[in-house]
Amino acid sequence: MPIADSDVKWVTAPKIGLMEQLYLPAIFEGLQTTVRHTAKTLFGDGAVTQQYPEVEPKLPPNYRGVHRLNRDEQGRVKCVACYMCSTACPAHCIDIVAAPSPWPDREKYPETFVIDELRCIYCGMCEQACPVDAIELTTLYDLTGLSREELMFDKEKLLSVFDETVKAGTDPIRTRAGRLSVASELPVDVGLTNSSSAQS
Amino acid sequence: MGTSLELGFNFWITLLFIALMMGVLQGTCAYLILAERKISAWAQDRLGPNRVGPWGLLQPIADGIKFLLKEDIIPDHVDKLFYLLAPCIAVSTALLAFAVVPFGPTTPPPVLLDYRQVPPQAVWPQTVEEEKAVLEADREHAKRTNDKTYEEKLKEYNDTIQFVIAPHVNIGIVFNFAVGSLAVYGVLLGGWSSNDKYSMLGGLRSSAQLISYEIPMGLSVLGVLAVTGSLNLETIIDYQVKHGWNVFYQPLAALLFITSVFAECNRLPFDLPEAEQELVGGYHTEYSAMKFALFFLGEYTHMITTSFLIAILFFGGWHFPGTNALSGVGGILVKLIVIAAKMVLFIIFFMLIRWTLPRFRFDQLMGLTWKVLLPLALVNIVCVIIIKQFHLSEWLLLPLSLGTLFLVAGLALYMPRQRPRAPIRLAAHVASGPPAVLQDHEIID
Amino acid sequence: MATVYVNGKPVDIGNEKLNLIQAAQKAGVLIPHYCWHPALTVVASCRMCLVEVGERKPDGSVAMQPKVVPACQTPAKDGTIIVTNSAKAVFAQQQTLEGLLLNHPLDCPVCDKAGECLLQDYTYDFGRATSRMIDDKFAPPNKPNIGADIALFTDRCIKCSRCVRFTREISGTAELMFVARGEHEEIDIFPGEPCNNKLAGNVVDLCPVGALCSKDFLYKHRVWNLKTQKSVCADCSTGCSIWLDANKSIVYRLRPRYNPQAQGHFMCDDGRLGYHYVNSIERFLRPMARRDGRLTPLPWTEMVPAIRRAFQNAAQKEAASVVGVLSPFLTCEEAYLIAKFLKGLSNQVRLALGPVPIVGEDDTYPKDRHGRPIQPVKFTIRAEKCPNRRGVEEILRHFQGEIISFNDVVRDAAEGRVQAMYLAAGYPPRPGGWVSEMQAQMIQRVPLVVCHDLLPSPVSNFAHYVLPSASWAEKEGTFINHAGLAQALYWGAVPAGEIRTDGQVFLDLLERRGLLHAATLRKELAAEVPYFAPLAERDLGEYGILLEKKTAEAGVN
Repeated sequence: MPIADSDVKWVTAPKIGLMEQLYLPAIFEGLQTTVRHTAKTLFGDGAVTQQYPEVEPKLPPNYRGVHRLNRDEQGRVKCVACYMCSTACPAHCIDIVAAPSPWPDREKYPETFVIDELRCIYCGMCEQACPVDAIELTTLYDLTGLSREELMFDKEKLLSVFDETVKAGTDPIRTRAGRLSVASELPVDVGLTNSSSAQS
Repeated sequence: MGTSLELGFNFWITLLFIALMMGVLQGTCAYLILAERKISAWAQDRLGPNRVGPWGLLQPIADGIKFLLKEDIIPDHVDKLFYLLAPCIAVSTALLAFAVVPFGPTTPPPVLLDYRQVPPQAVWPQTVEEEKAVLEADREHAKRTNDKTYEEKLKEYNDTIQFVIAPHVNIGIVFNFAVGSLAVYGVLLGGWSSNDKYSMLGGLRSSAQLISYEIPMGLSVLGVLAVTGSLNLETIIDYQVKHGWNVFYQPLAALLFITSVFAECNRLPFDLPEAEQELVGGYHTEYSAMKFALFFLGEYTHMITTSFLIAILFFGGWHFPGTNALSGVGGILVKLIVIAAKMVLFIIFFMLIRWTLPRFRFDQLMGLTWKVLLPLALVNIVCVIIIKQFHLSEWLLLPLSLGTLFLVAGLALYMPRQRPRAPIRLAAHVASGPPAVLQDHEIID
Repeated sequence: MATVYVNGKPVDIGNEKLNLIQAAQKAGVLIPHYCWHPALTVVASCRMCLVEVGERKPDGSVAMQPKVVPACQTPAKDGTIIVTNSAKAVFAQQQTLEGLLLNHPLDCPVCDKAGECLLQDYTYDFGRATSRMIDDKFAPPNKPNIGADIALFTDRCIKCSRCVRFTREISGTAELMFVARGEHEEIDIFPGEPCNNKLAGNVVDLCPVGALCSKDFLYKHRVWNLKTQKSVCADCSTGCSIWLDANKSIVYRLRPRYNPQAQGHFMCDDGRLGYHYVNSIERFLRPMARRDGRLTPLPWTEMVPAIRRAFQNAAQKEAASVVGVLSPFLTCEEAYLIAKFLKGLSNQVRLALGPVPIVGEDDTYPKDRHGRPIQPVKFTIRAEKCPNRRGVEEILRHFQGEIISFNDVVRDAAEGRVQAMYLAAGYPPRPGGWVSEMQAQMIQRVPLVVCHDLLPSPVSNFAHYVLPSASWAEKEGTFINHAGLAQALYWGAVPAGEIRTDGQVFLDLLERRGLLHAATLRKELAAEVPYFAPLAERDLGEYGILLEKKTAEAGVN
């Protein structure tokens, strides 16, 4: 689409003086900034680095980590195998095989449900697409495995992630009828001050 | 020349220095990489490597072990001979160039003057008879002025340890430049023999850059050499000990030299040969394990050498006010520390500049050397020549040098510029049917 | 010459007898409809096609009818004015959709129709965004056994009665009906009389919503993941035009594709459900040669030259003892290529038509309630269970003037007069198989047997070279149906393993370079064989090209 004339703002380069033309003062000004940061980190307490294995990061509840499959009140998998998540998935990492459900109140359920955690890009589209709030991303971030097969999470594994995270209390169910619930809002004390206003 | 007049050359001390400096240089290189990573981290408010040993001090050793133990891959498509030769050239030229660089206190080799002529001139006797005559005149002159004779001076010189691998090389700086600039072969061969487009482009860019920046570098040094009257680095230091640091006479030359040296070392903002965003790894894309480490070693050795050169050519070498009179082992130590400190300071400066200035575009890079540095260096030489020719005070060089800088900057302000390109309004062309071919004069409104 | 005005745009509809839906279609305007189907009678029960209608008098004055009328029931005539986008028409569409959705469950996520559902599409295009229904939805129980392959999700039904009319008018078997009245109205069968006629699968396609679902496809895949390809059913010589729905080279279902020259709107269940062998894991996956009595894999690069050499030697020794058998499952292009290869060895090489499977007699619909066919015939399931007997015959006729039957060849083989036999079989697994044990024993006496096939058969148990065939779903080419209609076939799945299409193997045998391109070969074929001359210039189009004129009686709905 061509840019409309009204959207074009014409600017002229500001005139520069002798000192600017020398470039050297600007370089020293830049050097000053570099030195300031270096000194602040070296002598002060300016580093933003977190010492990961010793210090665990505090993650906001809407962090998008490992997936889980939620259970309903009766402990059955909530998923109805509608393929919405696999359709929405930009990385094509969700593989579902549907079957008629064994329960009288449901017609369809996932016989197998496999997420390739290595292929996943953790965009959260599956969570948004899910019509029954069955798939959610948790705050588990340290996902490791010794083989590719190990990180193909099947239904049982995904349900166990639900059990774990619910037991640990770190991840309350965060979607309600498709909308993000209160649980996904940032608490005030998380410390990511600059982003908290934008995220809530 | 007869044996009695030969400048001293102690084989064992030289061997010791070679062994010592090889070790020190490589160790320094390893720790420079750590320093580089640490300083990078600090400049970015990070901590940097801190897992191996206290404060990450064993990181270079871990890196070295990793480099040694990594699988040494030679891709199928490379030209094997040159592919293997390239890192060797890169590292050997960098080490070789260090041969003439003083890394501690030195004294200039004595000069034999022919006092039979007025004014006396330096002479290199070709026959025994001539030598005898010249020495005779020298002894007489010494007796007259109550000075040491040349033979005494020579003995004294031969008895002091010169902290340089190859002392009293008359063509010192030329040797350094000549050997150092051979490093471009390493880069070019590495890029070409890898048989890979990224490497090739990186190598080509690099060779163009290295060759271009050698010109202002050499020209800026010429001014110093003209003032000092010697190519020997020990003599250059000695001159500065007696007359004050060159940077005070020729700040412009120092600026030009430092800038060129940045480009010669492929340091930011001139690291185009290995600009990751465009060229993956540049000329060493296809290199891995120890061969890659050799390139790295060469690069950092180059950096150390040039830092020494900056210190020696413009900042007085091992000289620091008040330390000149110190003698004995303590004096040597102090002077060693002084020159090492200067070198480290310049390396830190290198590293800080890396996080201050963004990388140049290739045309800007070439424009800088050919349109800015080269003319400035020429003007600098002309100033020095005028001063020398008319025996004017050397302090005149300072205002001349700075004046040139400001004058050129001022002139640049009023230079006619290429008119900026007007943005192309595509909408009209799209609307009026078939896409019109835009002519040059249409674009530049 | 009649002109109708659709949303102010004049459209010439000629002398055709059209209703307003069809007339508007000519103008490129979609009038949403559920109950109306071009092959069924008009009931105007769904009320989805309500439009404003008027008439432009010859004197130029316009008279609009005061109420919206169903477009499906109103014939278009000269001067008819159709307005589909007026406030009144749009309001009518919204009201109708809201009514239809009152009791329709919101189970699109688990409904197999989702993605190709007319209720979804029309609600999106013409309906309201939200529901005003506050009462509980009426949800009658599902009837999963309404037919052998049909499940009824009763609550999703919008009572358009397409399925009921289909069983009454096209299949004539009339198993389906409405029971109860009003909101409680639902589709049902007589107890113990499920909807199992041979055309029953069509009610699934006809159902505009997800009420009737095929159990064969139930929950197998979501329709938006399927890649749809134009194809031709290979199960009988009717040659129904079909859509082939596959994903990742697995065929999931077949659906009829409208073709007035072939079969009309529908297809039979034999064809619809007969594709499973395409996905079979028992298929031959790599070329194999017999070494010491065992079949061992041999790469194509060695296989093809070996076969070529063997047949060249055999033809040099005694050309008349070399026989090629061309199955009626080959495409015309494939038959042409293999005929060219074998006849190229020597003109004495004999070509025979492979066994033509005939099962019972032609089965015509509609039938009366006793199962007796009645006139006029609306759909025919042919007894001849192969797609391309006509095409292969014409090629045999061109290359050697006569058609040798498979039985003759087998007899010759039994008498030892055949030294080499090339069996281009590729038969689907059907009861009885294409070759009997007895015939196989006779063929076993032939010293060199090359067999192309999909699945193991009595012949492949002893054949010296067994080559994997591609099924019809995996190859492109031309099929000629019983009436001489040439239809193009396109591949909808990539054959598994090392399978190459028969045509590609023949091309390699001929030492012709490149990959098989049906359109190019078809042109070549048309230039060489006069029967196929009409196929020379254009592609076969959506409906194919009739190669014979005398076929006016072809069953057309």
